[in-house]
Amino acid sequence: MRMHAFARRRRKHTKRTDPAVPPVVRLISISKSFGAVKANQDISLDIRPGRIKALLGENGAGKSTLMSMLSGRFPPDSGTIEIDGAPARFRSPADGIAAGIGMVYQHFMLVERMTVAQNVLLGQTGSFWLSPRAMRATVGALAEEYGLAIDPGARVDSLSMGQRQLVEILKLLYRQSRVLIFDEPTAVLTPAETGNLFQALWNMSEQGKAIVFISHKLPEVIAVADEIAILRQGRIVDEFLEHEVPSEHALANRMVGREVILEVDAQPVPLGAEVLRLEGLSGNGLEDVSLSLRQGEILALAGVAGNGQKPLVETVAGLRSPQRGAVTILGSDWKAFYGAPQKESWRGGLAYIPEDRQGLATCPDLDMVDNFLLTTRHGFSRQGFLERNRAEEQTARLVEEHDVRPPVPATLARQLSGGNLQKLVIAREFYRHPRIIVAEQPTQGLDVSATEEVWRRLLQARAHAGVLLVTGDLNEALQLADRIAVMYRGRIMDVIGRNEPDAVGRIGLLMAGLRKGKREDGTAGEGARARQGEDGQGAESAPGGAAR
Amino acid sequence: MLRVVKRQEPLKGGTPLIVVGALALSLGISMLLLAAQGKPAPRGLFLLWDGAFAHVHSLEDTVLKAIPLYLCSLGVAVAFRMQVWNIGAEGQFALGAIGATWAALHFPDLPAPLLLPLMFACAGVAGGVWALVPALLRLRLRVNEIISTLMLNYIGILLLDYLVYGPWKDPTSFGFPLTREFSPAAQIGRMIGRIHWGILLCAAVGLALAVFLKRTRTGFEIMAGGAGARAARYAHMPYGFLVGLVMVLCGVASGWAGSLEVSATLGRLQPSIMAGYGYTAIVVAWLARLRITHIAFYAFLLAGFRVGVENLQLELQVPHAFGGIMEGLILLSVLAGQFFQNYRFRRAEG
Amino acid sequence: MLELALPILAATVQSGTPILYATLGEMLTERSGVLNLGVEGMMIIGALAAFVVTGATGSPWLGFLAAGAAGALLGALHALACLVFQGNQVVSGLALTIFGVGLADFLGTPFIGTTVPGFDKLSVPLLSALPVFGDIFFRQDALVYVSYVMPLVFWLTMRRTSLGLAVDAAGEHPAAASAAGLDPVALRWFGVVGGGFLVGLGGAYLSLAYTHLWTSGMTAGRGWIAVALVIFAFWRPGRAVFGAYLFGGIMAFQLRLQAMGADLPSSLLLMLPYGLTVFVLAASSARGGGVGAPRGLGVNIEPQE
Repeated sequence: MRMHAFARRRRKHTKRTDPAVPPVVRLISISKSFGAVKANQDISLDIRPGRIKALLGENGAGKSTLMSMLSGRFPPDSGTIEIDGAPARFRSPADGIAAGIGMVYQHFMLVERMTVAQNVLLGQTGSFWLSPRAMRATVGALAEEYGLAIDPGARVDSLSMGQRQLVEILKLLYRQSRVLIFDEPTAVLTPAETGNLFQALWNMSEQGKAIVFISHKLPEVIAVADEIAILRQGRIVDEFLEHEVPSEHALANRMVGREVILEVDAQPVPLGAEVLRLEGLSGNGLEDVSLSLRQGEILALAGVAGNGQKPLVETVAGLRSPQRGAVTILGSDWKAFYGAPQKESWRGGLAYIPEDRQGLATCPDLDMVDNFLLTTRHGFSRQGFLERNRAEEQTARLVEEHDVRPPVPATLARQLSGGNLQKLVIAREFYRHPRIIVAEQPTQGLDVSATEEVWRRLLQARAHAGVLLVTGDLNEALQLADRIAVMYRGRIMDVIGRNEPDAVGRIGLLMAGLRKGKREDGTAGEGARARQGEDGQGAESAPGGAAR
Repeated sequence: MLRVVKRQEPLKGGTPLIVVGALALSLGISMLLLAAQGKPAPRGLFLLWDGAFAHVHSLEDTVLKAIPLYLCSLGVAVAFRMQVWNIGAEGQFALGAIGATWAALHFPDLPAPLLLPLMFACAGVAGGVWALVPALLRLRLRVNEIISTLMLNYIGILLLDYLVYGPWKDPTSFGFPLTREFSPAAQIGRMIGRIHWGILLCAAVGLALAVFLKRTRTGFEIMAGGAGARAARYAHMPYGFLVGLVMVLCGVASGWAGSLEVSATLGRLQPSIMAGYGYTAIVVAWLARLRITHIAFYAFLLAGFRVGVENLQLELQVPHAFGGIMEGLILLSVLAGQFFQNYRFRRAEG
Repeated sequence: MLELALPILAATVQSGTPILYATLGEMLTERSGVLNLGVEGMMIIGALAAFVVTGATGSPWLGFLAAGAAGALLGALHALACLVFQGNQVVSGLALTIFGVGLADFLGTPFIGTTVPGFDKLSVPLLSALPVFGDIFFRQDALVYVSYVMPLVFWLTMRRTSLGLAVDAAGEHPAAASAAGLDPVALRWFGVVGGGFLVGLGGAYLSLAYTHLWTSGMTAGRGWIAVALVIFAFWRPGRAVFGAYLFGGIMAFQLRLQAMGADLPSSLLLMLPYGLTVFVLAASSARGGGVGAPRGLGVNIEPQE
């Protein structure tokens, strides 16, 4: 938790702590259950215009459920939502929009094949007939009014994640939403884009918009919020005004509900042989990627999602073949490694722990035993027949050992929580005694204790394996990795040792495509120029933000 | 107002209820259609039952129809298991019949122990190849297998027509489109009553497939590939091979069904063997929820409806197409009924 | 040479017309995100409805509308199975075809061999006098002329109206449509029922204009060809016109060959359109690789709690 880069640009406080401002939204003892799970219990919350309210909580604490009810996606089981003092009953998101409530979902709700203008005006076009030119003009004028640099005629699938977020914000502005809800908005942004976003949030709140900022990242919450509400296990456990906010550590403890150790012990272990080597890997969105990984180390691949991590990982994991360049896995050429009979190679080879646990790493409708067999089946087959009983016993043992809950092997994968599913995947992949582990966002969506568990396992794995850790969470990279390779637009910008001076600052710049890694003269590299050319705003230059 | 609520766990033991409900609904609608045409619906229902299941003779008819239906359904179920939408059992059945007929017409003098295996080999190869083509088209050129298998059905049936109207027509048939009757060695005899030895083949194929899917590693891979194609690729399963395999399995099984029809039921090839078993097989496979062990029962049931409809045709002059209506309705209502396995309706307040 | 080609080309337009209607119908359905394999069934029910209603009322236009209504009704059945009961779209569509073909056969039995007035050729003044073009395109029946404007209307609706934009959103990303305040399930109902209406119209062409009589199984796989053509057309109406006339051409050519007593068995000639379907799909898929398929196609919308 060392990322405070954006805190530097904290706005000058135009203090509006006047509690007399009536709330635009009041949530009064809201409860919601999904089956036996009580997602929200008796939650009351005031949201006031001109203020940024942070909703802090771990994954699964009930933040998104609460906001989905406020935006009209589904109704609460009990409790009332008051808008401007009058009770409101939303039957659909359309009702929420009409009441002035807008939401930017964590996974953007944009139609990728459509243009920016079409997305902004979708459902809001007013007239039956449309004129593409008029639509572009309307959205262009709106973007200009708020100083957001975006081409209204561009197709969304050609935009970066940061630009897509601008489209989402434009949607809310066009609908004249008074309450703007942002669900984990920084997950897909570079540090610089995050700074831009915060500036935009401050600007919009000065204009009198009420803003709800949902996050589990403490430094960001502390940096941006006027008020903080902490949600734990479906209940509000604390509320703070800005000047009352305790230390980061205290906040963390309140959020998790117990003493949190935010640092792990990542003492280096002696390095062994090289297990993975990439030389000049190009194509599939990669450009001249070279890397080397040795047993005993964790090499992090940091970068904003969509900068080539996916093709790189999929190539290494054997899901797509390299176009140009060489991939050497455990001393064998890629073709030879993946062409070898799996009868031998399933064990002591490469294990891939993907970001998509439900769908790629497991099949949601299969039980734990079948899911366990997915990658270990060759260890349980004799003359083509499958020894299911033995697999069942082994699954039961592993489930016990890794504390997967419920510890019932007949449980279907989709009935497991994200954390337990990840434990199952890790149990399975470690059972294969891999000598290379490719772990992709291994703690995304996990709560603190599950995260600690995964970190511990990865660190232990160094005894027999080399670990390639793909993560968008810089803190995770800094906690675990010996070296950090930063990817931008399919290239490795630089590889930085964890203990090098000013690692955080340099990595942040590299993630934004600024080649400042080695030279300290501050000149922007080619990547940055390309970026500036495209979206019209440099990562370092002052953000457009909303309204001046 | 009603709201849809997802069940926490799939409804246990609801399947028989859903099937019975769907059958009742479909029969009810079908009988209403009969009544709308001025035919006595209660008597229709009775005739349906009487013609299919009530006598030894009708039961024999039902089993005879269930045999090809069963084989086709096995193949369809295996392919559907892997989410390979092979609608081509009908054409593969036609090609099987053609393959068997080719062997029977060209080697009439071979003794039965040689000729019958040869016929089944030819039928299996013909049906298998007819199924492999769409598999390869899907894997190599990304051609949607629903369309390609269906088009190959039309082509296969036309090929059969071409042969029996042309080169293979019996010169002594007075112009009727049929081949010569097969030599006795090419005909499969009766086992019990009118039921032929082909039923043993059904049992063997069914058993082998059940064991294969349940107990072998490849069977597991097929099941997993159907549960999630992406996960199968992730686990380095030979996905393309598996797609080809399930298609060929379906082609061979359907081909053998066609081969049994010419060899055991008719003793010759004629266009009337194309009775739509390949399409009914889809209904059977889905009713059985793609489980191999349940297919026999539903094949028997649907074969019974076919025989029953023939009885209706005879007694009440109901068009043959009535069977299609029933089958379509059953499939639709079972499909809708399966909703209740995972969801339920709840009255929403307000 | 031209004398030989002109009748074939005019027949091409005729044979292509029912496929064009059906292709546009299925395209509308698929763009809303629903795969409907019941086209063959809806088309033949449309053909029967058109025939029966025209016979009863004497008005082919009423018959034409009845065909649309019948197709829409069957589409509603598919919508019920998939949009309300969350059924598998592939299986539901197949069931619809089995049901529709059976029902048309069952209800149509008494009409086999009878005829109705239907639509006759109607030369367009001036335009029909054009050399070559006039002969091919403007000495046709009224339903062909209607079909000329259909792709244009389709294109305008999808590209220039808020309805089209919303339908596309429901097909591409229903959750985004919902977040934007639209009702993707309602939009899909529109796509399925409206698509069924167009498919039914295609059926009407077969029993009212292409022939004036009822025969069982008269669609002969045209519904399936329409499903294939949607893929071939990359879900765009312009390419659908091209595809429909391509198939119209091969059918007209094949009939012509038969009529001229070509020394080829009719069963082999009849294979041509089916073989061409596979070939055309292979050629376009290899090139486009599924370009244009709506991202949400075939995936049901899970009900929200």
